[in-house]
Amino acid sequence: MFSPDTQVLVVDDMMTMRKLVTKTCKGLGFSKITDAADGALAWAAIQQADPPIGLIISDWNMPNTSGLDLLKRVRADSRFGKIPFIMVTAEAEQYQIMEAVKSGVSNYVIKPFTADVLKEKLEDVHKKITAA
Amino acid sequence: MPQLDASFFKPFVEGTLKTLKVQCKTDAFHESPFFKGTKPEPAFAIAGVIDIASVTFTGRISLCFPEPVFLGMMERMLEESFPEITLELQDGVAELLNMIFGQAKVTLNEQGHTIQKAIPTVVRDDTLNTQIGKIVVLPFKTDLGVFHIEIRSDS
Repeated sequence: MFSPDTQVLVVDDMMTMRKLVTKTCKGLGFSKITDAADGALAWAAIQQADPPIGLIISDWNMPNTSGLDLLKRVRADSRFGKIPFIMVTAEAEQYQIMEAVKSGVSNYVIKPFTADVLKEKLEDVHKKITAA
Repeated sequence: MPQLDASFFKPFVEGTLKTLKVQCKTDAFHESPFFKGTKPEPAFAIAGVIDIASVTFTGRISLCFPEPVFLGMMERMLEESFPEITLELQDGVAELLNMIFGQAKVTLNEQGHTIQKAIPTVVRDDTLNTQIGKIVVLPFKTDLGVFHIEIRSDS
């Protein structure tokens, strides 16, 4: 599993969801969590973070810069391209999941979700990273 | 009087039951739908609203909660108590609707409705749906109290 010291960035335009995902992450042992209210703010936070962001958990459907746009931007930048990126979204149609996979998402959580589901997806991402 | 189209609103009922069960740890039970105006107006203090424009349906979906029911849902979702609906808390209703809509959209698009992504907004006053006659009300019961969904068809 990820280190508890991993810098986690939670991105969602809804405050209640940022709070829910942050609480869930704390419950899973993470202690260093910051958040951003849309993809543009998240991109700025990623560039400025010190120590660097080690895990991004982002909503898809946001005003300004969407989660998918953020994912593409992160993957296109060699400085941040390997940061694990989990999409937590209500967008559950197969073509959308495929679009996110093609854009390089590390894993995909469909809302509504439980802490166990997020934990399972994080473990899966961690296994892929350590196996690579 | 227009007919109730069960195939259109059933996905919203199913999405509501699942969303509240998983995210708010609450069992909801749906009651018989009716057209707005044919029964006493259900009360609400806060609503999440999504406007839809697709080839087959133009209208508005609203998720409406009385204050104590909404506060109870948020308390179960975020595991902390809230004495009132604050600006910070109110987007919770939009997020619950977003989850319900996301699930309903999968089924509706399999039926050929071609509904696109939409970002929900929050309404806090009584200007939600002033038109009467083409609004279907889907009522729900929970241990926290009653709430409802309104489906307004403009098409």
